Amino acid sequence: MSTHKDIIPPVASKTKGSLHPINQIKSYIMDSLSNIGFEIIEGPEIETEEYNFDMLNIKKSHPARQMHDTFYVNKKSNVLRTHTSPVQIRGMLNKKPPFAFISGGKVYRKDDDATHLPMFHQIEGIYVHKNVSFANLKDLIYKIVYMLFGENTEIRFRPSYFPFTEPSAEVDILSENGKWLEILGCGIVNPIVLNNCKIDSNIYSGLAFGLGVERIAMLKYGVNDIRDFYKSNLDFLKQF
Amino acid sequence: MKISYKHLVSRIDEKPNIEELSNKLFQLGHEHEINGNVFDMELTPNRGDCLSVNGLLRDLNLFYSINNNLEIYKKELNEFNFNFVNHAKKDCPKISFLKIEIDSIPEKYNQEMESYFYDLNVKKNNFFTDISNYISYETGQPTHCYDMSEISEGVTLDYLKTKQNFNTLLDNKIELKAGVLAFINNKNEVINLAGIMGGSSTSCKKDTKSVLIECAYFNAEAIIGKSIQYALTSDAAHRFERGVDPNCHENILRRFLKIVEECTKINSIGVYTESYSEYKNNIVEFCEKKINKILGTNLSKKDCIIHLQNLGFKINESQIKIPSYRHDISSINDIAEEIARAIGYNNIDQKNLDLFSLEDKKINQNSSEFNLKNLLIDNGFSEIINNPFTSINNENSIEVDNPLDINRRFLRTDLKNSLLDNLLFNERRQKDSIKLFEISDIYSKSPTQKKRCIGIIISGRVDKNYKDFSKKLDINYLSNLINENILNIPNLNYETISRSSINSKSKNKIIYLEIEFSETFHCRYISNSKHVNKIDTTYKPISNFPSSIRDLSFSVKEFSNFKPLQDYMLNFNDEFLKDSYIFDYFFNEKNDEIKIGFRLVFQSIDSTITEDQVNKIIDIIITDTKKLSGISIPGLN
Repeated sequence: MSTHKDIIPPVASKTKGSLHPINQIKSYIMDSLSNIGFEIIEGPEIETEEYNFDMLNIKKSHPARQMHDTFYVNKKSNVLRTHTSPVQIRGMLNKKPPFAFISGGKVYRKDDDATHLPMFHQIEGIYVHKNVSFANLKDLIYKIVYMLFGENTEIRFRPSYFPFTEPSAEVDILSENGKWLEILGCGIVNPIVLNNCKIDSNIYSGLAFGLGVERIAMLKYGVNDIRDFYKSNLDFLKQF
Repeated sequence: MKISYKHLVSRIDEKPNIEELSNKLFQLGHEHEINGNVFDMELTPNRGDCLSVNGLLRDLNLFYSINNNLEIYKKELNEFNFNFVNHAKKDCPKISFLKIEIDSIPEKYNQEMESYFYDLNVKKNNFFTDISNYISYETGQPTHCYDMSEISEGVTLDYLKTKQNFNTLLDNKIELKAGVLAFINNKNEVINLAGIMGGSSTSCKKDTKSVLIECAYFNAEAIIGKSIQYALTSDAAHRFERGVDPNCHENILRRFLKIVEECTKINSIGVYTESYSEYKNNIVEFCEKKINKILGTNLSKKDCIIHLQNLGFKINESQIKIPSYRHDISSINDIAEEIARAIGYNNIDQKNLDLFSLEDKKINQNSSEFNLKNLLIDNGFSEIINNPFTSINNENSIEVDNPLDINRRFLRTDLKNSLLDNLLFNERRQKDSIKLFEISDIYSKSPTQKKRCIGIIISGRVDKNYKDFSKKLDINYLSNLINENILNIPNLNYETISRSSINSKSKNKIIYLEIEFSETFHCRYISNSKHVNKIDTTYKPISNFPSSIRDLSFSVKEFSNFKPLQDYMLNFNDEFLKDSYIFDYFFNEKNDEIKIGFRLVFQSIDSTITEDQVNKIIDIIITDTKKLSGISIPGLN
């Protein structure tokens, strides 16, 4: 027969909070890349057209620069950055090669539907050294994909187009249901971009990659509607 | 863009099946979906040259023997006098007009045309426009057909001096701005929005037998953005924006004529061409060493040459002559990409990349920000991310010139209102303990300034365990938590947000705190928990329907059953049971009795949960717990 001396009061456990799932994925990727040698750099979300477009070989006539794709502020004197690439430009202007940078953060595009939002997160990386090749890029991409999706993941590289890389590629992974899913873009840094940043493209070459954090988070967590990440619903957020 | 498998394979000697062809197209970078026997292509914007059957076949020539000899009209073409004035020679350096008069409108088209309309489910329009659409599909070159009787006086290509009304051939009535490039008739009326869409006044009809075909080269810059600006869906604009072949006009017009000839009798033909500059092919220096350096491969010069020749490049000594349709090629990196496409990106072996040879990298982790985050997470706070767009305008707000929502056209200058919205959103969803935080950069103007802040907002119960259940979140709770751990910021501004200002009747206080991460900011909290980023969590869909709460309080006199009761209640599983916890606990020494209360939260994923559904579960719990001796539910017989 138990007596009152044997009674152990219930545990008054504290409810744990959580980091936002997008920041968890972002931090995981950034920390992993940092561990293999990339330096984390940061830059502003309000950018000049010069850094956001011109220096990246995105010509004045490029559709991305139209008012229907890009948010302009301060009477068109600046833009809300449409990608994290201008951070790489700032990094390249400030340092001499060899270097390896990553930057992650919020970016803005004039979209709003179940798969696109006006604000989302990107992580981009760049590595510039002598004799950097597409074969090196593939090695890095395999490391990133394996880190995120496991070493049994089947990967496909497809030619693509970005003004700031040449050759350019998009990378797909094979899902469990047999469909190829696009997960990131990458390429060899266009020599025009290196020259814009006062880096001699006859001596140096570079590789670059970029991925959308929401895209990875949707795949990893099985979330179908990107808007769920930003409803601030505690039932949603507490799951992560 | 839709391309029929049948039309591609009919010109490939090896006759690959649709899956093999699909794989080759992916290898070339031509993303697509297969719908039946049709490739729904999504081409990259630099490959305007591939927006046609001929264009894709030029790329597929890397792998297959392609029949490129389409029949064309081979007889001599006589010039005719046409009153054409070009005031936009820079944006339209080459233009041709072909006049055709036919004997009768054919009832049936040739086999290729009929197959195009049938296989791709394209609606027929009129004879000449149908050929124009087919030619665009087959060759990639847009042409425009005018009813000759409507423009016999001639046309002028010019930039509009003033705004003008224009009726498109699809009967869209639009107002063109001054400066727009357009074809104008002798009455100074717009008859064609150049490179985008013709007008209704001069378009061909079902019975048009005399036609003027316009075949032009427009610089992409003159066309880009116009179709979106005027909300027009234009296949021609899509092609001109991506670049067409400036050197194809005669061949296109001869192909047009051939198809007309195959369908009906031609009475007369005349051609008029103006070309203001001679096309010069781009030249890139050929160097297989550079190609191998870019790709990390070891390809022979001979292999590189074969691949390039198969793609239509001419190699002369150490120079590569770029075909006129390839606007995307101007450097050795572009050439390397062509070689990589030919051999397949997936067939290039990876080479180890070791970044550790670079100097040591420091993780740029702001430890105080990191510590503060851990403090909040250990105390039940959830991180929120909001977008910066707000309706609130103050003197420092930056205004977005082209907002998505005109009512939210400013960038926020603090985090309070976003977090308040988040808190109220969760209160409406019956959350009774809300602790949120957000960390973000904030921008203000004059000149543009950036600061990094954390906003913290709380309301409701301190926690749901029995010790904290009855305590309410207030300034003391937050200041005790924060002041103990944050140094160097003497005057933290804990704000109580008035419920009346937000039309809320809840009696729970709302407390808000915003801190700027200045250089002196320091948080000394070190978490005992190991915070690991959860990247393998599988999300469970959440319900948008209301929940139902039931409390069950037990009297425990047989203490040996106290633990089994807790285990049962806290581990009880049901699809509708969303949460269960102990909200009350009291040991009454005088009566030798434990009182313990459990709160059960029920919710259905796809409907509002009913009393019946909840009662059935409660009945099971009561029946099961009754089996434990010395345990009763006061008030329940």
